[in-house]
Amino acid sequence: MTNHWIDLRNADVVMICGSNAVENHPLAARWIQKAREKGAVVLSCDPRYTRTTAFSDHYCKLRSGTDIAFVGGMINYALQHGRVNKEYVRHYTNATFIINSEFDFEDGLFAGFNPDTDPPSYDKSKWKYELDGDGVPKRDMTLEHPRCVFQLMKKHYARYDVDMACNITGSPKKDYLKVCDIYTSTWKPDRVATWMYAMGTTQHTHGTQNIRSYVLLQLLLGNIGMAGGGINALRGESNVQGSTDMALLFHILPGYLKTPKVGQETLAAHNEASTPKANDPLSANWWQNYPKYMVSLLKAFWGDHATEENDYAFNYLGKISGPPRTHIAMFESMYEGDVKGLFCFGQNPAVGGPNCRKEIAALEKLDWLVAVDIFESDTSVFWKRPGVNPSNIQTEVFLLPAAASMEKEGSVVNSGRWAQWRYKAAEPPGEAISDAAIITKMVQAVKAAYEAGGQFPDPIVHLDWNYNVDEHGEPDIHMVAKEVNGQFTRDCEVKGKQFKKGDQVPSFAYLQTDGSTNSGNWLYCNAYTGPNKEDNKMARRGKEDAVNQIGLYPNWSWCWPVNRRIIYNRASVDLHGKPWDSKRWVIRWNPALKDGAGGWEGDVPDGGWPPMLKPDGTENEKTKRPFIMRTEGVACLFSTSLKDGPFPEHYEPLESPIRNLMSVQHNNPAIKIWEPDLIADPDEYPVVCTTYRVSEHWQAGNMTRNVPWLVELMPNVFVEMSPVLAREKGITHGDWVHVVTTRGTLEAQAIVTERFEPFVIGGKTVHQIGVPWHWGFNGLATGDSANLLTPHVGDANTMIPEFKAFLCRIEKGRRQEMHV
Amino acid sequence: MKALLIDTIRCTGCRSCQVACKEWNELPAEETSFFGGPGYQNPKDLSKNTWNLITFNEVKLNGRLKWIFGKKQCMHCLEPGCVSACPVGALEKTADGPVIYHKNICIGCRYCMLACPFQIPRFDFDSPNPYITKCRLCHDRQEMGEIPACAKACPTGAITFGEREDMVREAQRRIAENPDKYHHKVYGLEEAGGTCVLHISSVPFEEIGYITDIPNEPVCANVKPAMKAIPAVMLGAALILGASYKFRNRTRDEEPAAHG
Repeated sequence: MTNHWIDLRNADVVMICGSNAVENHPLAARWIQKAREKGAVVLSCDPRYTRTTAFSDHYCKLRSGTDIAFVGGMINYALQHGRVNKEYVRHYTNATFIINSEFDFEDGLFAGFNPDTDPPSYDKSKWKYELDGDGVPKRDMTLEHPRCVFQLMKKHYARYDVDMACNITGSPKKDYLKVCDIYTSTWKPDRVATWMYAMGTTQHTHGTQNIRSYVLLQLLLGNIGMAGGGINALRGESNVQGSTDMALLFHILPGYLKTPKVGQETLAAHNEASTPKANDPLSANWWQNYPKYMVSLLKAFWGDHATEENDYAFNYLGKISGPPRTHIAMFESMYEGDVKGLFCFGQNPAVGGPNCRKEIAALEKLDWLVAVDIFESDTSVFWKRPGVNPSNIQTEVFLLPAAASMEKEGSVVNSGRWAQWRYKAAEPPGEAISDAAIITKMVQAVKAAYEAGGQFPDPIVHLDWNYNVDEHGEPDIHMVAKEVNGQFTRDCEVKGKQFKKGDQVPSFAYLQTDGSTNSGNWLYCNAYTGPNKEDNKMARRGKEDAVNQIGLYPNWSWCWPVNRRIIYNRASVDLHGKPWDSKRWVIRWNPALKDGAGGWEGDVPDGGWPPMLKPDGTENEKTKRPFIMRTEGVACLFSTSLKDGPFPEHYEPLESPIRNLMSVQHNNPAIKIWEPDLIADPDEYPVVCTTYRVSEHWQAGNMTRNVPWLVELMPNVFVEMSPVLAREKGITHGDWVHVVTTRGTLEAQAIVTERFEPFVIGGKTVHQIGVPWHWGFNGLATGDSANLLTPHVGDANTMIPEFKAFLCRIEKGRRQEMHV
Repeated sequence: MKALLIDTIRCTGCRSCQVACKEWNELPAEETSFFGGPGYQNPKDLSKNTWNLITFNEVKLNGRLKWIFGKKQCMHCLEPGCVSACPVGALEKTADGPVIYHKNICIGCRYCMLACPFQIPRFDFDSPNPYITKCRLCHDRQEMGEIPACAKACPTGAITFGEREDMVREAQRRIAENPDKYHHKVYGLEEAGGTCVLHISSVPFEEIGYITDIPNEPVCANVKPAMKAIPAVMLGAALILGASYKFRNRTRDEEPAAHG
C-alpha cells in the first residue's frame, strides 16, 4: 500500500476493484466503515456480487479480465470531462515530457515490437523521452505538444469511450457511468479516492498493466500521496509484504536490490548496470544510492570475509542465467526432470499452483521434497493422494513440523508496510520449531559438510551466521533484526556523527560503500536503532496520533521507509508546500521551523528538501521533485520500463469467449505461452470461469481446512452460477456438477444465485461461473482444487499466473474419471 | 441493563462472531456438508452447539439485489417468557440483562422452548441428561469486565454492546441520520415487551427471515393466566419432574462443575 489500513478512513470514495477486500481482508472493513460514517461512498466493481458488494453503496459488474477496458474508459471520462488536477499532473507526473518521434501505436501494438523473440518483446528504445543538450527530458508545460505524454495519453484513451468500455466489459452503461462520475469527482483537491486491489487485479496475463491503469487514473485525479488516497495493494497473507521486502522472489535481493546476472563479473559492473543516472538536478534519484545498499548487504551476508580486496565477496552471490525461475517456469523445468529437489516452506502447490495436476506430476519427478508446515499439507502427501499407488512414486519426502506464527517471536509486516513485533504466545507442539531454527540447523549442517571440503566452499563456510543459537537450535531473533537494520563494522564518522564498531546504523542515509556498515535490508535501516530491546521500534505501541490527526499513529510499530506512513507525500502539497487538502493534510511546510529556515511537519516527508517554489514564486534550486524513487523525479503516466507497453491497453485473457473488440491483437503480445495446445476453443468451452477465496478459509487451506469451526462454515468446494445458466444446464441449487477445462475436471456442488449474472459482450450472451480454490485431498475438509482447471500462463512482467479468467464448460452430475 | 445492538448495514457476513461464540463457549463444530441455508449459511439453524448464527439473505430492494446478513441468537427479553414458563427456576433474568440458565436445575420439560416467541432455546435430544442450550450474553465474560465474545470479534461495529438505553439511542440516531439507508424500526425495542438484543436493518425484518408477528407485551403476561388456570397440572408436573431432577442430580453432583 502507498498508504495504510487506518488511512482508508480518510477517503471520500473507496473503490474496491480487483480485490474482495471485505471478504478476504475482513479488518479492512473496520476502516471502510469509519469512512462510510463520515459520508464516504463505497464502490464495488467485480465480476461477482460478493460480501464486499454487500458492504458497498454502488455495484458495477465487469467480465473477468477486462479491467483495462473498464479503467481505460474511466481515464477517458476524466480527460473528456476536464476532471483532472492539472497542476498536480503538470508538475508531479511526466505528462509534460516529450516522447521521441519513433513512438507509435497501431493495430494494438506499440512501436518496437519484435514477434521473433521467445517470448515476443519490445525494443523499448522506441519509447524514450526526447532529451535536451544536458540529457534532461524535454517538457512542454502547456501540455499541448502533440508528442507530450498528456496528448499521447489522451489520444490512446479516446478509443475507450463509454460504449466501447461497456461492450467489452459487459457492464451495464447506467452503473458504469455512475462509477465514472463518482470516482472522477475526486479530481478536486479537497476530495480524494482510494483504490483497493489485490489478486483480482494481478492474476492476469496483463496484471501489471491492470495496476498501471489505476495508477494513471489516480495520478490524473491527483490522488497519490494524499490522505485517503493512493494505490493500495492488499497483500494476500499477513506477512507477504515482509517476505517480498526480504526477497522471496528469485530476481531480487533484500530491499529490492537486483540479483546479479551472468556477465556482471565485478561489483562495479553490477552497480553500473543497476544504478540509474539522472541528469536533471531537481531529481533526487534515490536509487543512485544503490551501491551503498549492495555493499552493506554483502557485509551482512559475509561479515569480515567481505573486504575491499575481494570486491566485498560479490562473486559469492549466485548469478542468474537461463530462463527466469518464476513459479510456472520452475514447475515446467521440474516437469521436464531438470529440478531434482524442492523445499516448500508453508507452500502448498498441490492445491495452490496453476494447473495443479501438472504441478503434482512435476513433484513426482523430484528426487526429494522437503515440506515445512504446521500440518501435513496436500503437497507433503502428494505421493499417497487418492487414485495413485505410492510404490510407483520415487520422490523421497520429508515433512518438517514448523511453529505457527504465535509460537515464535519476530516481526510481521502488513500491507501498509508496518513491521509489527510479535511475541511468542505458546510453545510449539511436539518437535515443531521456528522456520528460523530450521534454516539455522540446515546452515550449520551444510557449513559442516563444506568445511570438510567441496567445490567453491567459501560462500558457505564464510557465511556470517552468528545469532547466539540456544540449546533448542533457536537463533536470537533480536540479533537477526539488528543485523537487518544494519550496524557499523568499525569506528567511523558519518555526517559529522561519531559511531563505534557495533553501533546500530540510525537510518539508511548513513549506509556506506566502503564496508564500514552492514545492513541485511536497507529499507529496514531505522527499525532497530540501538543495542537494547527498547530500541526495537517495531515493538512500539504508542497510541498518540501525529499533529495532523489523520490516523498516522507514528509511534505504533514502525514502517518502511523511515517510518513514512504515506509514501509520495510530497505530492500532497502544492508547489509552495501548502496541502492540496487542508482538512486532511499529510505534510506541510512551516517556514517558522528550524529557527526560521523552514521545515516540514506532519508525516515523515519524502526527503526534507524545501517546496518547489520560494515564497516569491521563483524556482527553489534546493528543492527536489516529489517522486524520489523515479529517475525522472515525477510519477510516470507513460512507462519506459514495462515489457508490454508504455500505456495499459486492453487485451483479452489467454482464453476468452470473444475476439478482442479493441484491436486485432487478441492477447497481450509479450506473454510467454507455455502450453499452446491447451488454449481452449470458445465454441467448446464457452463459459468464463474465475477462482477466488472466501473469508472462512485461507489460501491453499492447510491451516483452515484443519480447523473444525471453519470447516463447519465452509465444508466443501462449490461452484457459483447464475439461475439463467443453471436453467440452461438443468442444474438446481445443491446439485453435483462438474467443470471441465483443457487442463482438468473439477466436481462440486452448485450454488445457483442471482449474485451471478450473464454478461452481454459485443451483443453476445456470455456466462461466467466462479470456484473458490481452497480445497485439496488432505485435511479435515476435502474437495477438488480449483487449480485443476487453471492455465499455466502468467503476466508478461511478473509471471503471476492467470488464475482469474479462463474458459470452461459445465455439466450436471459428478465427473466420471479420477483426475488427480 | 446491558444490551447488544446489531446493525445489518455494518455486517459483512464474515462470521467471526459465530466462531468467537463457539470458541468462548467451547462448543464443538457441527458436521456440515454443502450449505444448510441460503448463500453460505451454515449450520442450517441454531442447535445445542450453535448459539449464534449469521443468516444469509438475498433480497430484492427497488429491483436491485441486496445480500443482507441477519443474526440469530437469544434476544434476552426484558421480561422473558422462558423464565416465567420454567417450573423450576432453571432460567433466570439477571439484573444486568442476560437471561441465564442453570443446567443443574433444569428438568428438561422444554416449556421454555414453547414459551419463547423468537423460537430460540434448543434441546439436547441426544444426551442421556438432556438440557436446554442458548446464548447467555456471555454473562461470565461480563462478570470479568469483558464484553460478549461476538461483539469483541466483530471488525466493523456491526455488533456493539453497552447500556440498553445507550444502544436504543444509538440505533435511533443511526436511523434518524440515515433515513434513506435504514428501515425505520428498531427490532427488539418493543417486541415481547422489549429485549436486550436490538436489531436495525436496511430492509423490513420479515425480508430477512426475522419473526415479526410478535406482540409488544411480554410473553409472561400470556403465560401467567394460562398457568393459573391449570395449577394442578403444573403442580403434578413439577412434582414428577422435580423427582426426576432429584434422581438425576445424585450423579450430577459427583461431576466436576461445568464451566463455560
